[in-house]
Amino acid sequence: MARAAKSALVLCMDVGFSMSNSEPGQEPSFEQAKKVIQKFVQRQVFAENKDEVGLVLFGTDGTKNGLAKDGQYENITVHRHLMMPDFELLEEIESELQPGGQQADWLDALVVCMDLLQKETMGKKFERLNIVLLTDLNVQTSADQLDVIIDSLKKAGITLQFFLPFPVDGEDRADGGGDGPGPSAAPARPGKGLSRQQTQGLEMVKNIMTSLEEEDSLEEVYTFSDALQKLSIFKRIDRRPMAWPCQLTIGSSLTIRIVGYKAVTEEKVKKSWAIVEAQSHQRDDVKRETVYCLDDDNETEVQKDDTIQGFRYGSDIVPFSKVDEDQMKYKSDGKCFSVLGFTKQELIRRHQFMGSQVVKVFAPRDDEHAAVALSALIRALDSLKMAAIVRYAYDRRSNPQVGAAFPCIKEKYECLLYVQLPFMEDLRQFTFPVLENNKKFTPSASQLSAVDALIDSMMLVEKDEDGESVDVFKVNHFPNPQFQRLFQCLHHRGVNPDDPLPPVEPWLKRDLERPQAVSARCQTALQDVKTKFPLKVVVKKKEQKTSADVFGSSADEPDAKKVKVDEETEFNLAEIAKGNITSVRLSCLKSVQIDAFAYALLTAPAHNVLHQSGNAELFNSYMQSLKRSVPDRNLQEFWDLLIQDALTLISKDEVDGSTFSKQDANQFLAFEQKEEVQAAPVQEDTGDVDDLVSVSCLFGCFNDKHIIYYICECNSDL
Amino acid sequence: MAEWRKYYPNEDDEVEEDEEDSGGDYKISGRDSLVFLVDASKEMFIKGEDGEPSNFDMTMQCVRSVYTSKIISSDKDLVALVFYGTEQSKNPRNSFKHVYVYHDLDSPGSQRLLDIEKLLGEKGAQFAEKTMGSGETSLGDALWCCSNLYSDIKLRLSHKRLMIFTCRDDPHRGDGAKDRQARTKAADLKETGVVIDLMHLTKPGGFDVSLFFCDIVSPPEDESELGLQIEPSRKLEDLQKRVRAKELKKRSQSRLTFSLGEGVNLAVGVYVLARTATKPSAVKLHRDTNEPVRTKTRYFHAHNGGILLPNDMKRAQVYGKKQIVMEKDEVDKIKKFDDPGLVLMGFKPMDRLKLHHHIRPALFIYPEEEQISGSSCMFTALLLQCSENNLFALCRYIPRRNTPPRFVALVPQREELDQSQSQATPPGFHVIFLPFADDIRTVDAHVGPTASDEQVDKMKEIVHKLRFKYKSDAFENPVLQQHYRNLEALALNMLEPEPIEDLTMPKVQMMNARLGPLAQEFKDLAYPPDYNPEGRPAAKRKTAESGGGAAEKKPKVEMSEEELKNHVAKCTLGKLTVPVLKDAYACKQFGIRSTGTKKQELIDALTMHLSK
Repeated sequence: MARAAKSALVLCMDVGFSMSNSEPGQEPSFEQAKKVIQKFVQRQVFAENKDEVGLVLFGTDGTKNGLAKDGQYENITVHRHLMMPDFELLEEIESELQPGGQQADWLDALVVCMDLLQKETMGKKFERLNIVLLTDLNVQTSADQLDVIIDSLKKAGITLQFFLPFPVDGEDRADGGGDGPGPSAAPARPGKGLSRQQTQGLEMVKNIMTSLEEEDSLEEVYTFSDALQKLSIFKRIDRRPMAWPCQLTIGSSLTIRIVGYKAVTEEKVKKSWAIVEAQSHQRDDVKRETVYCLDDDNETEVQKDDTIQGFRYGSDIVPFSKVDEDQMKYKSDGKCFSVLGFTKQELIRRHQFMGSQVVKVFAPRDDEHAAVALSALIRALDSLKMAAIVRYAYDRRSNPQVGAAFPCIKEKYECLLYVQLPFMEDLRQFTFPVLENNKKFTPSASQLSAVDALIDSMMLVEKDEDGESVDVFKVNHFPNPQFQRLFQCLHHRGVNPDDPLPPVEPWLKRDLERPQAVSARCQTALQDVKTKFPLKVVVKKKEQKTSADVFGSSADEPDAKKVKVDEETEFNLAEIAKGNITSVRLSCLKSVQIDAFAYALLTAPAHNVLHQSGNAELFNSYMQSLKRSVPDRNLQEFWDLLIQDALTLISKDEVDGSTFSKQDANQFLAFEQKEEVQAAPVQEDTGDVDDLVSVSCLFGCFNDKHIIYYICECNSDL
Repeated sequence: MAEWRKYYPNEDDEVEEDEEDSGGDYKISGRDSLVFLVDASKEMFIKGEDGEPSNFDMTMQCVRSVYTSKIISSDKDLVALVFYGTEQSKNPRNSFKHVYVYHDLDSPGSQRLLDIEKLLGEKGAQFAEKTMGSGETSLGDALWCCSNLYSDIKLRLSHKRLMIFTCRDDPHRGDGAKDRQARTKAADLKETGVVIDLMHLTKPGGFDVSLFFCDIVSPPEDESELGLQIEPSRKLEDLQKRVRAKELKKRSQSRLTFSLGEGVNLAVGVYVLARTATKPSAVKLHRDTNEPVRTKTRYFHAHNGGILLPNDMKRAQVYGKKQIVMEKDEVDKIKKFDDPGLVLMGFKPMDRLKLHHHIRPALFIYPEEEQISGSSCMFTALLLQCSENNLFALCRYIPRRNTPPRFVALVPQREELDQSQSQATPPGFHVIFLPFADDIRTVDAHVGPTASDEQVDKMKEIVHKLRFKYKSDAFENPVLQQHYRNLEALALNMLEPEPIEDLTMPKVQMMNARLGPLAQEFKDLAYPPDYNPEGRPAAKRKTAESGGGAAEKKPKVEMSEEELKNHVAKCTLGKLTVPVLKDAYACKQFGIRSTGTKKQELIDALTMHLSK
């Protein structure tokens, strides 16, 4: 149906020499326009839509087009005829799109594009024909044919979009720039700096655009920087929602015909990654095999046919075949949108919206009676501030939902907005400690006013001259950075297969930051907040476990005493300990334990320090001797910590001096896991609390920016 | 050793955690456990006025609902049921008198559910009297016994809770020695990390917590005295709510840094208060033994048959006829924009949060004082001021490593209490996910005629008649309920599952009755006499139906009387499907009325009729 509609579009880019000029510190128009085209084609390729795209260049040194004859339409090249854009086109743009040394009349180029569109869309069905012109207008044009051109554009139903290096009407567009994301969308050049040709050309652009369209005609004229900024003009994944015809029922006797459309839903990346063989890059070289096996020591394999399906029911597993399940499962009686009742809107909490979509509900286009009936319902609900609670089922196979239908009245249309609500099973009743009336956490008046000042300085809604409040950070106008980044990387890798991935594009990063103006404005308030609210990363001293409890309470326990480190140890312990180790609790320290204790102390921080100092060899040999002593000394628990923390040998990848590969390093711990299992019973035998000395120590380890402190206990034989 | 893991921020990669644990499939942090310690004294069995259920009955219903919900939502948790003040004694070493361990700590299953059902209702009271009886009370012994239950468990327990259900505020009737012993035992339990809650029930003259139990229970986590001010539960609903609020350990999904700006960071825990509950995935079993079967997936080379290690494989996508190849870690890295956390962008008035900007269920954040001290104060100040000025905070949210950012609205919610002084809404910010441009689809609005005031007013009357108070926990998921009833039936060898009440179905009869003539009056105002909203306009009908094949009806299989009689004679009625059998009714050709719609009932009714 309507979904099959596609459009044909010709990108018409000026590559003439004036495009390569630029003011100091500015990118030449040519580069900007090339980027716009690249972005656009990139989007088309990755969105995999069926639109056909052609590329016409003007100002080229050569001439290649269907109209060129007798010195007319020279220096215009049809680079690519109408077809679905593919990677080849992207590669061509990347490598072959070069500035030309000539100038050509952009009106001539427009005519070539029209000709191309008309000839190549013949016999095919397109919903929309469009020409995108990218030029600096800096060329002499002959305006005598203008009326004829406008006429034939109209006749052929071709729409136009212009991309220029400067805004179409100076200041007006500069601040009224609509919904552009923030203040950085400043115009490239003020209107004054235009050449005579440009001024003239601009008049013609206005002329064409106003005669082509009835209203908002200049909305379709963009600046390069604007376009690059808010590429949303192209890049949105545009999906036409499917119509869902159904009937809204109130009781058994009142029925209203409706049509629903998915209006908001989280768009996912369409393609998944296939697995290919690393050398050949062939998919077929990788075969995947899934085997079923019993959970016994031999992992006895079982044929797939010999398995049946079951479900856990608490501690039981109930065999429940697919056939039985289908037979007994809940059966819904088909699609429905049945009102269960009406309720106050305020009883439906925003944070209890469930599901992943919002459905807009209209009356069918051809049914004015339904429209009237639905309108009555929408208006009644709106004036009563109520909503309908409905049972919604998409079709016979899908699970029914309970949801709310809210009235929505806009200037141009009315509809119901349907959102799913939770089932009892979906909710978790957690109770949280009181914040407000807790004396420990109650903010003082000066703290509150500091926060107030911060809020004031960080408002994202500003008043414009007319006193209208304007949202300066409309996130629903931002493209999803995930897609942008993915496409950027795919594009880059596709064009340069051997290069590393490029960094995130600056504009994309900027979109994810607080607007500059806000950021600057809030500095003082932020400093004030910083001084008034003491925030400190907590150094963990958590309640300790069993044996530590026992020993911890003993009287001879020194209070958080500083570690005294033997200077003779192989590593410069003191240096390592500095800053990292704040306190160490020793329950009972006998000479034998020093050794084990030192291991514990060393390994975590040492790993980091040694990374820096490059003293990997020493560390590795220590780790190896530690490993050997694990079974004898009952250090399993401690070893577990190392495994959990992936504290292993320092590999070549990390430090040059190491003799171990990354794999060795990884296996170093993995191998031990098996050994640990065998060693476990031994530990049980000797596991008499009195015979153990508990060494609790606190050691720190760097993890990104944070310093985290662990408490670990090492039990070791006397 | 379980505890220290928690201090590892961003380690939310649960899969990894699971794999590291050699002991089985429960999470490294251990299992939750819950002991119901229920008073079985005579007072508990006294029925309320107007035939209201006894405290004992109410408690058992509550226990049953916890068992069922554990089975459904957290089948690894351990639950025990212990009675005190009984005549008979039953405990592991039989060292305690008047303590009856009905269920020791274990994960609940079908048999235990059956056991509980024996204790329900009038019959349950009799059964309890017969098996356990009511006798002397020593809470100290009971608590001691419970502490043995905990220590008998070899598994790692992460959360230990004990709930005392009683309607006696002075169980030892002034016996100071017993009181003292109970206090000591309670202290011992608390020492080992058990949280003791009191679920006190109504008692003539009022339940005085300060008399005895205030020394037994654990102090509330926030040190406000809220915990003890709660009224005793009169109704099952209240009790269930109280139990449910405590029974689940609240666990944060992750702990994150919330940055207000350079150098101003607080710590918050992210909680999931609502998540779509789905049928658990099926387990594969060996056909012969019903043993669970594991799956192993391997990759090997198609030509030489060699096993492919992760390094031998890359990822690829095809676009515009070209295959683009990347390493696995490159694919992951593409998704990285920044470190996990919440970063404040600024503030907006609440009316900028559009109703239709919804893409997934919300989360909830609450400060983590234990990670960054001062977080709670800062958080509270922010919460108060946002709520006061009716603002929300706009943040960038990255939940974990290598995850792309999303923008979220932090909507303030202040604490609210319900009538029984328990928390109705917790204090904190709801995290509402906001859509990007890509998530908003272009919908061409249908513009049609609008309704007149008269029509709108009539509809208002209709709306008014069908008003109700929406409550978010009022609807059960019929699909899940049916699934568990089916499992229950199979597990307990029931002939057929207990029927469910589908609360999502409109109560058509009641609605019609309430509306009376209003529906017709509205139709007269809005629809022309020949208009039929049920069908499509005649002209459109054909195209529409050929478009959607689903509309096609299955051909009806109707049985003649002879055929049916044939089946009855051969006893093969059972081979027919329910719809066919029902059809035999629907035609009313036999004029049979059956009360039920179960297959056997239909067969019985038919056989009766036809063999006459």
